[in-house]
Amino acid sequence: MKLTGKEARKLLFDPIVENNPIALQILGICSALAVTVKMDVTLVMCAALTTVVAFSNFFVSIIRHYIPDNIRIIVQMTIISSLVIIVDEVLKAYVYEISKQLSVFVGLIITNCIVMGRAEAYAMKNPPIRSFLDGLGNGFGYSFILIVVAFIRELFGAGEFFGIPVMPEWYPVNNFLLLPPSSFIIIGLMIWAIRTYSTSQVEENDNPLKAHTFKPLTVKKEAADG
Amino acid sequence: MRNLIIPLLVCIACAVVVSITAVTVRTEQIANVENEKKNKIISAAGIEITEDEVENEFKKITTLYVDFRSNEFVSVEEKYDHLKAVLKSDLSEIVPKDKDIAILKRRENVGPIYVWTNENKEVERVVLPIRGYGLWGTLYGYLSLGSDLNSVNGIEFYDHKETPGLGGEVENEDWKAIWKGKLIYNQDGGVELKVVKGAAKDEYQIDGLSGATLTSNGVSNMINYWLGDEAYGPALKKIKEHVKNS
Repeated sequence: MKLTGKEARKLLFDPIVENNPIALQILGICSALAVTVKMDVTLVMCAALTTVVAFSNFFVSIIRHYIPDNIRIIVQMTIISSLVIIVDEVLKAYVYEISKQLSVFVGLIITNCIVMGRAEAYAMKNPPIRSFLDGLGNGFGYSFILIVVAFIRELFGAGEFFGIPVMPEWYPVNNFLLLPPSSFIIIGLMIWAIRTYSTSQVEENDNPLKAHTFKPLTVKKEAADG
Repeated sequence: MRNLIIPLLVCIACAVVVSITAVTVRTEQIANVENEKKNKIISAAGIEITEDEVENEFKKITTLYVDFRSNEFVSVEEKYDHLKAVLKSDLSEIVPKDKDIAILKRRENVGPIYVWTNENKEVERVVLPIRGYGLWGTLYGYLSLGSDLNSVNGIEFYDHKETPGLGGEVENEDWKAIWKGKLIYNQDGGVELKVVKGAAKDEYQIDGLSGATLTSNGVSNMINYWLGDEAYGPALKKIKEHVKNS
């Protein structure tokens, strides 16, 4: 089956809004909370994750017919963790300051649910080029959310953009936005916005609230008297 | 069989690629670490310059080496690294338990002092490496003294494992700023400077880090050790003379 341009576009751009790994699948939240205080740090993290998820998909897909089914997760993990170490080493060599700020979070890409999820759900069943594009697309989807969150947090939290003060001088530092919990709220608002725009993402309510069915106990007047 | 061969091949392939990458970028990584150390030394000394000027500023520094056993200034081989020396039994020794207040276990025999001098061969400022145990691990840093070799110029920590937000606040700019101008030695020549609980009362005290008593104590202990008689103390007393005569 030949890969058409339309399909390639779908693989690349669907995960940005239509099937976003963070907003729809709610995966990879942990690093989205931790590394979104500053734009430059976030961009490096996004590049790191996108590289890892694209190449891990690619390599897992190449050897997918040879991976024994019962130990497939271990084989996937070996490939993913090797890629993460490579990315980490390169970051330490060329963007030392930022890699210090990212600290453990580059290493934690190994356990990022998006990377594992795509390898297991997509790359194990699809040819290499498609898997690579799917990885890139999911990386972009992750990056899209993180960049928006980081933009809001840095601008309204520290009053800066890429470390350059942009807010007027009277603007106080908003500490809440600089702390991780604020990303929860921003991501929540983004999910709301995305689902308002694309209503097909709204989940069915599995446990709707039912009307009150409890009947108050009626005590017979005689019994109460007696 | 496939269960064994496939993982083995994957492992070998991954190991080769990872090793090649690690070896290729090694020189850049070492250069980064070196650079950062230089930056920290300069900023501990209280000199504010841009990153491009660091190399130049570093040329002004004379590095002296002190042998802690004899308290003499000695010369060392070019690539000498006092932290690596700690790992070698012929270049370091075990610190006796009763004197090991900073919990170092081993101390190098020879340590560096970075000295700035003016044209009259007078010491302007010095930077000493300090280290010691905090709560979770060893803190590594630099302490700078002014020309009187008693007042603090600045302090920097470049590596530690303390809790972010509590002990990790040793990196806080505001906290580091209160060190400037504090005094190390009292009238009798003993190390008096301490990080105290709560607010500092005189020039021998530094405000404690709230929620980080053990880290604060660790910092006090390392100041006490490294500036005391066991380490740089005696050498500092004669460094002025040494520089003058060199």
